[in-house]
Amino acid sequence: MPLIVNGLPAIHWAAAGAGIAGVTLLLLYLGNRRLGISTSFEDVCSLVLAQPYFRRDSVRSGRGWRLPFLAGLAIGGFISAALSGGWHPTWALGMFDDVIGFGPAGKLAWMFAGGLLIGFGTRLAGGCTSGHGIFGLSNLELPSLVTTLSFMAGGIVTTQLIYRVIF
Amino acid sequence: MTFLYLLLGIVFGFILSRSGAADYNYIQAMFLFESIQLYGILGTAVILTAAGMWLIKRGGRTAAGTPIAIELKPLHRGNVAGGLLFGVGWSMAGMCPGPILVNIGEGKIYALAALAGALVGAGAFGALYDRVQGLFGLPPLSVGTGEG
Repeated sequence: MPLIVNGLPAIHWAAAGAGIAGVTLLLLYLGNRRLGISTSFEDVCSLVLAQPYFRRDSVRSGRGWRLPFLAGLAIGGFISAALSGGWHPTWALGMFDDVIGFGPAGKLAWMFAGGLLIGFGTRLAGGCTSGHGIFGLSNLELPSLVTTLSFMAGGIVTTQLIYRVIF
Repeated sequence: MTFLYLLLGIVFGFILSRSGAADYNYIQAMFLFESIQLYGILGTAVILTAAGMWLIKRGGRTAAGTPIAIELKPLHRGNVAGGLLFGVGWSMAGMCPGPILVNIGEGKIYALAALAGALVGAGAFGALYDRVQGLFGLPPLSVGTGEG
């Protein structure tokens, strides 16, 4: 199955998994940091929100590494597109276009709603696919196993409902 | 060190972009049990990270000689409730938090709306912390639900 970005072939899962493990281990060995992306959303919020939640040390002390890491993710995506096929803005959304077929306004609303659930849900759970799913499971942490099973269940039920029942 | 974190982010973002982990179709194929790609990625990453982490913890120190300190995440009802909510959002957007940024970098315009939603969602959670704390048995504010 080609990727949406420029129709590129996907690299083998074993190579991708090894690369992700490498980044996770380098973060720990070189920076003493535990991989986790969803906390970065709090870091960004803490730049403009002043509630006690965003003034905690655990949020503020991480900005120095999480914000550059977050910027790096976007740059990595840009380089990936630019190197093969070229970078160009797109609304293409794969099977969503084929089956659901919302236009740009519908996609923005759909994505904003999904984003709300991602932002609120990951912070309620204390982490996401990276912090719980990769780092937490690797470190044999029970809360990470519980959370990973929960978000996999939520995703499986939702996608099955959307593509096998509703549309 | 800022440059190191930026560089690691770029490598991570490139891998997510080229592996399907930031691709709407691959996310749906995972949840439809039609592709092993993302299960293979997560499984490989966890096994290799666990092995490497065991070695790093056995050494006990970072490359610079600082003692390794891993803050553990607390267990609470938010793990299940938040996980379920996040799972619904992951399915809808076809992106988890990291890939939102990757998709923006790739030029997918709609990913900007997912980022806006995620920031509003995280901001709302922080602002409402004392209201949802009892409901989900969350730790005191100073501990939080778990920082990545």
